[in-house]
Amino acid sequence: MENQKFFYDNKIVRLFILATLVWGIVGVIVGLLIALQLAFPVFNFGLEYTTFGRMRPLHTNAIIFAFVGNAIFAGVYYSLQKLLKTRMYSDTLSKINFWGWQLIIVLAALSFVFGITTSKEYAELEWPIDILITLIWVTFGWNMIGTIMVRRVQHIYAAIWWYLATFLGVAILHVVNSFEIPVSLFKSYTIYAGAQDAVVQWWYGHNAVAFFLTTPFLGLMYYYLPKAANRPIYSYKLSIIHFWSLIFLYMWAGPHHLLYQALPEWAQALGVTFSIMLIAPSWGGMINGLMTLRGAWDKVRDSAALKFLVVAVTAYGMSTFEGPMMSLKSVNQITHFTDWTIGHVHIAAMGWNGGIVFGMLYWLVPKMFKTKLFSEKLANIHFWISTLAILLYAIPLYWSAITQWLMWREYTPEGFLAYPNFMETLTQILPMYSIRIIGGALFVVGFIIMMYNLFKTMAAGSFVNDEASEAPALVKLGSRNPAQETIHRWMERKGVRFAIWTFIALAIGGAVEIIPMIFIKSNIPTIESVKPYTPLELAGRDLYVEEGCYNCHSQMVRPFRWETDRYGEYSKIGEFVYDFPFQWGSRRTGPDLARAGVVGGPMYKNAAWHYNHFMDPQKMNEASIMPRYDWFAKKEIDIDIIPAKIRAMQKLGVPYEEGYDEKAVDDLMAQAQLVANDLKASGIEIEPTKQMVAMIAYMHKLGRDISTPAESTAQQANESSQTSQEELKEVVLLTGDADLAAGKEIFNSVCAVCHKLDGSGIPPAFPSLADGEWINGNSPEQVYKSIAEGNIAKGMVAYKSQYSEKQITQLTSYILLSLNKK
Amino acid sequence: MKIISNLLENIEGIQIYYVVGLLIFVGLFIVIVIRTYKMTNKEANDIKNSILNDSETEEISPQN
Ligand code: HEC
Ligand code: HEC
Repeated sequence: MENQKFFYDNKIVRLFILATLVWGIVGVIVGLLIALQLAFPVFNFGLEYTTFGRMRPLHTNAIIFAFVGNAIFAGVYYSLQKLLKTRMYSDTLSKINFWGWQLIIVLAALSFVFGITTSKEYAELEWPIDILITLIWVTFGWNMIGTIMVRRVQHIYAAIWWYLATFLGVAILHVVNSFEIPVSLFKSYTIYAGAQDAVVQWWYGHNAVAFFLTTPFLGLMYYYLPKAANRPIYSYKLSIIHFWSLIFLYMWAGPHHLLYQALPEWAQALGVTFSIMLIAPSWGGMINGLMTLRGAWDKVRDSAALKFLVVAVTAYGMSTFEGPMMSLKSVNQITHFTDWTIGHVHIAAMGWNGGIVFGMLYWLVPKMFKTKLFSEKLANIHFWISTLAILLYAIPLYWSAITQWLMWREYTPEGFLAYPNFMETLTQILPMYSIRIIGGALFVVGFIIMMYNLFKTMAAGSFVNDEASEAPALVKLGSRNPAQETIHRWMERKGVRFAIWTFIALAIGGAVEIIPMIFIKSNIPTIESVKPYTPLELAGRDLYVEEGCYNCHSQMVRPFRWETDRYGEYSKIGEFVYDFPFQWGSRRTGPDLARAGVVGGPMYKNAAWHYNHFMDPQKMNEASIMPRYDWFAKKEIDIDIIPAKIRAMQKLGVPYEEGYDEKAVDDLMAQAQLVANDLKASGIEIEPTKQMVAMIAYMHKLGRDISTPAESTAQQANESSQTSQEELKEVVLLTGDADLAAGKEIFNSVCAVCHKLDGSGIPPAFPSLADGEWINGNSPEQVYKSIAEGNIAKGMVAYKSQYSEKQITQLTSYILLSLNKK
Repeated sequence: MKIISNLLENIEGIQIYYVVGLLIFVGLFIVIVIRTYKMTNKEANDIKNSILNDSETEEISPQN
């Protein structure tokens, strides 16, 4: 057979490699920045553009889509050509893929900085960019499938199946999760409401991990590991079986992100079962990878590239064992909302994804530049630094997760929460955040060493854009010959047919999980008292989304006593029917806010408190790590867009009366005036059109609809206080040092938020306890009552539900004997 | 946990999705395993060695 001459396109691979390095370093540096922000809030720089809520999506997206994304393209564009012995199908498509992807990254970075976001994790981009992503992704798939069709080898090697699954999986996920109704160029509402949105989003979120961080990387492993070790993969049959099981099972496992949350039981059970089953195919991949190296461990000792690959496969095995364990409900209650998940993803991202990318680059760059690696020694240094970095990153976070979880659920012998103030549980883990910074910094250093090493290698080598090669043309085969070909081989022969089968496997899982949720109405029991957001609350909610508050705050009280005691009534699925998008959150860096509007509940804070808190959280709570949002007091609510928002909501089925879009602005102004008046009563002057007002209105909406009406609670409180007027229980002040110290401890951690450490308060909203003026009197009995019964309407919590009588007496003694000594 | 029980665990016939899904998976899995093991070892070896057989790889150790 005659050989055909052709040229490999090396140039496109080099471009993707450079993009990988450039975006990679950006991604890890932003990661380091947000790690710093969590330990030291000054690193929010007091600017809206650089607050944690906006930087965190920038970090996750930069790593996933910019660093890992470009690395995938580099790895695929190189190996696909070699495996199929042909040039990429179309140079134009390759170029569109490259430049289009970089454009998306730049637009994404800008939109995060400016707070343009849908708040759906790893899918935060707004609709114009979503469309662009779809187009570029299709370009990639088209180019890949085209290349498969013009190939010069008969079979399609295992790596390519994974690439195909990646293309299809991401396409399905992205399209389904991105259905949204545009309100303006920069704002849209997802078409899914509340719990549905949560299911779709975490089906996406989970499978983004599968089809962006797992399948392409298994593909890369199947090519680069044998190449770097110069040994064939251990078992080809295993690769077939684990391929089909893995892509089939992954699609089902999404609900494991929503255990104990307002989600139907059957969906939770489905998620758990399939997550556990996933261990098998995942470990199939790990075993195949590690066994490839059996008898070749001497090579691993000598090659940094192989070392990275080995660590990658090991990390993959660890994470894919840990993940299913985290889907067990009893484990999940520890790992969800704590730092465990953050530790888990970093073992996977730094170990598995990072390891494959670094290993691939150390092998590929010298190869393409026809030279040796500039310094094997530096590469080994990089290896050890980054391994140490992973440990220093992950171990403190696991530690922190367990510590915080234990503190959240600890009770005193009297049956009260041992740490009712959320801040205590956070302060405890802050040292861990400092250690994490060291881990992150080491990882950055390793990355820089690698860049230096690779650039030196590139400079020393010689690069050909179009590398000549030759191979015989592919002979067309007829229909399947059952005697000689297995079905799988026959399917493989036709790239398109193979892709269709893969699509079917993926679609079944997706459909089973999502369709019943969307179409069965009874899945969402309605709660009568839940009302749509008023225009002002909606504006506040959109601000909450824009600022990325969901990156730190959950809005989901799980049905545990230790959560309902701390936050209030657990969350019900029917509460969220008007939520576009849902805001359940995934990490509780700050306290849950689902019950922030329940007057008389443990989470309620009055308007003046919120104002002061947003202006400067550290003033209210010295150790707080929440960024300040003082521009809320300066920036205006975007009122012009309100009618369009109302109309979009109506399209989504929110029952605003017909023509409400025209009245909405008036309603907004009226409600805003009320909030402004409320603030004024506490001595705070603010125009009603400021963002602060909308945000406070939103905070006070949270959970309000399902709580008993405020008036009646307040009335009850008043009535009970009237009846008990005469018969105040006698209170004997405790003078012992131990009692005063205990009182002081509670005061500093809980009361100082409003009354300040020295008791001077923030008058007039929060009265001084240290001066001679008293609202309710200063006899021990009266002060005891002020603390026990509170004044819900004014924002003083009734602490009798949180502290024992003894503790309240200790507080009373501390206030009267230490703070208020004349 | 009783508290979540008001959350629709008794939607009629919802379990069917679950069962059908599992059945499809188990069925397909068995088919794929059988088919795969019918593949000859030689064929599998040829494929996996083939990627090492491009002009650039110096020495090849085509075992297993
Ligand atoms: C870096 C993480 C972080 C971000 C981002 C963040 N918060 Fe917080 N938030 C916290 C922490 C920690 C606390 C607890 C300490 C405190 O009260 O300041 C808190 C407390 C709160 C409280 C008081 C809860 C209570 O009753 O004790 C409210 C309300 C709040 N945040 C709202 C918001 C809003 C609204 C946003 C977005 C504009 C936001 N937070 C962004 C971390 C964050
Ligand atoms: C969210 C803010 C907030 C917190 C936290 C808070 N208070 Fe108060 N406190 C208030 C407000 C507002 C008032 C004024 C109530 C009124 O006008 O009747 C008040 C009033 C009081 C009074 C009566 C003062 C007087 O002049 O009669 C006492 C005593 C008191 N608080 C003690 C405490 C103690 C002890 C704690 C901690 C366990 C605490 N407070 C926590 C907001 C708070």
